[in-house]
Amino acid sequence: MGSALLQEICLPFLLGAQNSDHGWGFHAGSVSRVEPTVWALTALRECSALPQQQDSATRALQYLAAAQSTDGSWPSSPEIADGSWVTSLACWALLGRDGYLTNVTRGLDWLTQDVPGEARFLRRIMHRFMKNNKLASQNDAYFGWSWTPGTASWVEPTAYAIILILNSPPELLPPKITRRLRLAETMLYDRMCPGGGWNCGNPMVYGVAGEPQTVPTAWALLALRHRRERPEVHKSLQWLVENSRAIRSPGSLALALIALRAYQFPHPGLAESLHALYDDKEILWNVPDVAWGALALSSTAKWLDRNPVGTAA
Amino acid sequence: MPRPAVVLAPPFSRDLSRVAIRRVPHYQSDIAAVLFETLSELNPPVLGKTVLLKPNFVGADPLGMTNTHPAVVGAAREAFLRLGAATVLVGEGPAMDRDTQAVVESIELRAYLGPLAKLFVDLNTDDVERVILKTRASRLSELYLPKTVLGADFLVSMPKMKTHHWAGVTLSLKNMFGVVPGACYGWPKNVLHWAGIDHAILDINAAVRPDFAIVDGIVGMEGNGPIQGISKPCGVLVVGDDPVAVDATCARVMGLLPQKIKYLARAATLLGHLDEEKIRQIGETISSTRTPFAVLDAFKQLRADG
Repeated sequence: MGSALLQEICLPFLLGAQNSDHGWGFHAGSVSRVEPTVWALTALRECSALPQQQDSATRALQYLAAAQSTDGSWPSSPEIADGSWVTSLACWALLGRDGYLTNVTRGLDWLTQDVPGEARFLRRIMHRFMKNNKLASQNDAYFGWSWTPGTASWVEPTAYAIILILNSPPELLPPKITRRLRLAETMLYDRMCPGGGWNCGNPMVYGVAGEPQTVPTAWALLALRHRRERPEVHKSLQWLVENSRAIRSPGSLALALIALRAYQFPHPGLAESLHALYDDKEILWNVPDVAWGALALSSTAKWLDRNPVGTAA
Repeated sequence: MPRPAVVLAPPFSRDLSRVAIRRVPHYQSDIAAVLFETLSELNPPVLGKTVLLKPNFVGADPLGMTNTHPAVVGAAREAFLRLGAATVLVGEGPAMDRDTQAVVESIELRAYLGPLAKLFVDLNTDDVERVILKTRASRLSELYLPKTVLGADFLVSMPKMKTHHWAGVTLSLKNMFGVVPGACYGWPKNVLHWAGIDHAILDINAAVRPDFAIVDGIVGMEGNGPIQGISKPCGVLVVGDDPVAVDATCARVMGLLPQKIKYLARAATLLGHLDEEKIRQIGETISSTRTPFAVLDAFKQLRADG
């Protein structure tokens, strides 16, 4: 059943949605952007055996390389000048591909220098005297990566950066990255919701516990696979297992499946549930969702382990 | 065709605004009839136009206090179509959850709107266009905004009536944060917080001012809003042709002083009316529907009762 969904729905949709510039937009027919392009090409490379599908993915690498800014970052949308979280994703997609070493190195340099707003000296001094500094309970001494430059650390962009760093060969990594990696991992533990799992990064607001969400939980777990002994990881996996049966959207369900598979956790019936969601033609047909669906159903997970875990840690 | 530029004008040069307060005791009421009657009276220029409804959808909401209730969105859609709108779309870009499909499924939007594929627009992932910010109240000089919003003939902000732990209240002006696309700025759209929430509200609304507002105050949220507060039944819909006037009226219904809400006071210098004398009240009176909302200590100065 999983294979039929992959071959008859996911891959044809992705191939049909590729733009003439070789990138993908968030929806079929929309303007190409880095994030959907990364996921579509990753899915095609992982899941397809046909030359045409592999060619589409290879051409998409060229789109990504061309979309890189002169400072080494990638913008979230082609119209935007500033770099963003998609830099981690673009580097990850280009990592280990012939001819793109310089792109990856420049991206990693940009990520190393991109310090979130709360970690900046002036901000830390100001925060100490701010009226509302007790609103959230997190410890700002631990920081990761932001969505856009100069703003605060959040769970998803931090998880993407950790995954990239752990997948990168040590010789590509800037010297300061080890400290950033340690702080980022600690930030994820600090931002976990009290009952396990993560939301965007607000575990407590004015003393009230935040509700975890599937997407950030899956990404945080994927970023912490080399720390599977940590109690935070156990608790969050448990949350994901208990909540995965109630998921009613293809994107979240695919990511839950990917995370559970990465930890070799049993996931009975989830692939069938994913298929049932795609039987419903009235879903929003988002390119990353479909790509994650393909990756969730793939018999391999090479895309997650480009450079087997932990060499940079 | 793009929306006409927002007119930034001081209060003395603006016509009277019109705001209707309607009693609606619960979500099983005939909301479509109430809204059709109200819209017929206010007569918004939607004949043959594309209308975009912008509700506030956050996520799972078992107590019905966080999201604009889908029954209100469905009723508004029906009412605008009955008034002759050519197309009525619903668009939202949830701020805290990138899985918009999960958000709309959690609130069972389809049960009220029917199939969503051609009707609902995920504003987080829509194609975007650069918009230069005229007011420069915040540190932002430009934003990339969804083409669906910029191309709509008639934009309707449809928030929930809620308190907000950073801004005091979140109503039709603050609801416009949801048009800023997550796929450009992340989840949450943290760039707006760092630019200053009050100022960013002004900048966004000066760029894409809603033509109309419908506030779901049937059940609102008080205290630590906009997500972790407490359910507050208020039993009203507040509807009008000026988002500033609608928000000011809502604040009064909530027992708060609109002139003390920073972004609202500033919006009143450029975007609409705050002063009760400049707002023609229709339907119920403020005093008959006043339902004081609890606010966090940080906002106790907003309370009309001191």
